Amino acid sequence: MNLPPDIYYSNLDDSFATIRPLEFDLPDYLPVNYSNFMNWSSPNKVIIQGITELEAAFYAVQMKTYGTEVIAGVSPGRGGTKVEDIPVFDLVEQVLTITDKIDTSLIFVPPYQVLDAVKEAIATGIRRVIILTSNIAPLDTIEIIKHAQAHNTLILGPGSDGITLPDQVWLGRLQPHFYQPGNIGSISTSRDLSYEVAAELNQAGMGQSIVVGLGNDHIIGSNLLQWLSILEEDPQTDAIIFIGERIKQTEEILAHCRDAGCHKPIIAYVAGLKTPQERIFRDAVTIISNHLSASIPVASQERRIINKLKKVGVRVAKRPSEIPSLLSEMLHSNKI
Amino acid sequence: MELLEYQAKELFKMVDIPILPSQTIKDSRTIKQLQIPYPVVLKSQVRSGGRGKAGGIKFVANTIDAIAAARTIFNLSILGEYPQVILAEAHYNTEREFFLAIVLDYDLQCPVLLGSACGGMNVNSLLANLQQVVIDDEFSLFYARRLAASMGLSGQLICSVSEIIAKMYRLFQEKDLDLIEINPLGVNKNGELMALDGKITINDHALGRQPIIATLNFPQDQVKNALDRPNWHWLDWQNKSGKIAVVCSSFDLALLSWDLLNQNRLSPACGITIDHNFVDLESRSQFYRDSLQQILAELESIEGLKAVLINIWESEAINGEIIETIADYIRATQESNLLSQQEETDYNSDRSQTLPKFILRILKGENFSNLKIEENMYLSSSLEDSIDKAIAVVKSS
Repeated sequence: MNLPPDIYYSNLDDSFATIRPLEFDLPDYLPVNYSNFMNWSSPNKVIIQGITELEAAFYAVQMKTYGTEVIAGVSPGRGGTKVEDIPVFDLVEQVLTITDKIDTSLIFVPPYQVLDAVKEAIATGIRRVIILTSNIAPLDTIEIIKHAQAHNTLILGPGSDGITLPDQVWLGRLQPHFYQPGNIGSISTSRDLSYEVAAELNQAGMGQSIVVGLGNDHIIGSNLLQWLSILEEDPQTDAIIFIGERIKQTEEILAHCRDAGCHKPIIAYVAGLKTPQERIFRDAVTIISNHLSASIPVASQERRIINKLKKVGVRVAKRPSEIPSLLSEMLHSNKI
Repeated sequence: MELLEYQAKELFKMVDIPILPSQTIKDSRTIKQLQIPYPVVLKSQVRSGGRGKAGGIKFVANTIDAIAAARTIFNLSILGEYPQVILAEAHYNTEREFFLAIVLDYDLQCPVLLGSACGGMNVNSLLANLQQVVIDDEFSLFYARRLAASMGLSGQLICSVSEIIAKMYRLFQEKDLDLIEINPLGVNKNGELMALDGKITINDHALGRQPIIATLNFPQDQVKNALDRPNWHWLDWQNKSGKIAVVCSSFDLALLSWDLLNQNRLSPACGITIDHNFVDLESRSQFYRDSLQQILAELESIEGLKAVLINIWESEAINGEIIETIADYIRATQESNLLSQQEETDYNSDRSQTLPKFILRILKGENFSNLKIEENMYLSSSLEDSIDKAIAVVKSS
């Protein structure tokens, strides 16, 4: 099937083209707490909930070898055992018997156990939670976000690939050997696309200050908007790249530039702008309109959004190989 | 997973949302044993909308009419879907029809109540009168009253309609729904309410924890399809005139490859993604070997294929495995081609396979140069180089 990407058919009049205006207000839940978002390198004591899951055990050992302070794992019913040399506990609070503070928890437990795992982490005083599990039932995610908000806790994910600071700390699935240290902040919803862009940067001798995997569930905790404002403040970061799969995601960049003003160069790269993709309807009225009548008038917003991005000074890369030259151009003119 | 009307109504019954007496029919002959007094409405149980306009709903006054109507409905496809079940339901005289729904709004990250005083089949006027109330905190009945009031309802209807919304909300929460809809909610001359038609979608990620699925009498494949995630699958990209097949280790990489080809005015013949979550080396390489063998065999059926672009981000050990799998395939095909040529020289016909060019985009490791590469293969660790190669192959053919 080759959907004409710019035209969608309609058998209804346009009077109810109920698409929410472009600059909708995002839910403003998490008070942006800079210390929660930054300072990922040591001291950063990390635990892994669900460490006996195959994937978790695999990454736990690799992360520790890389130098991340993985102090313990938690897996109910497996307390007292070890994963390589990482001690495993039944409860998160039992980890406090070997340390006075846990900074970050990485959650790998199966989807239906995630809500409980997050609550346990927060109850133990952990204020940074990265959820690597994806496909969480959305009502659970909503509860997680509300709970985290009430306890001033940073949630990354669900479906996040984690955070990597090249040569410093590895938290999650983003393999640090595909990156090199530098001054570019990378925020992405796709691990492979993040690797592709990093490969181009590496070749051009550029590297990353931080690589963030936002998460690919439909509802996520900390969002692009928040990470943009954090990286604007981060002294290690001179320019920011957002790498995504849907143009709609870049609306948060527009919101950022509108609210905070963008001072550092920002580049957006969205793969598959012209690729036929399943359309995802996100807001209630569009969902229900589409449900009632299979073809609703969704004018492609692609061009409109790209024009808006250009207007606020964000460069939109057409392909990964274009990013290094765009970056050096922008960094150069930024200095002047 | 979207439920059919009769399945949705079983859920309505659980929370006391009023529904009419009804019976499901799987065979038009069994309609003789109908327990509901005539006149009766027969409704085709399909997921597609617009079944009323398409003739999937019939009013019948007696058994003879009912059998004929049921036969017609069973043989009527609605947007390509034939019903396996017909719902026979008592008739209800409505004075007004409302629309009510609860939907999860992903932008707002919370459920939204929706209502329209103009329910029924006229979608335009329904939507023109659509009202919404956002549930950004714990649900309480006043939210439902707020919706009813904004729909323009007054008097006792405000209370009775909001009671229905509260019951819908209970289902929404307990059953992990993406969507619950009553359309129309019929109101008779005494102001009594009746859910005449309904839709429910259960969130796919919650199916595993909803035991209700087992009791709703679903066709097995319906549940299985929703729960099963195949290891590799075709993307919805078929293009008969395409000459390149794209095989990637994730959907995002496929998007990227498609995009880059498209920027050069080439549209791939098809796309395949290989998904897995194996972590240990051995199962991962086994997995890639098996899936690639299956994929390569499937690709033989695509006519006119000139190039297969394979883009996989993996570790060095796996990359070696992938190269070997493809080299083995090429050798095996060439050998069998040779055999069939020898056999068929007398008949002057050639059934042999023309091999496409295999372009592998994988990260080069240190031992890369030691690997045995066939003539039909091209290796590169640069994405754009691989894309250029694929384009060159197609253009030169």
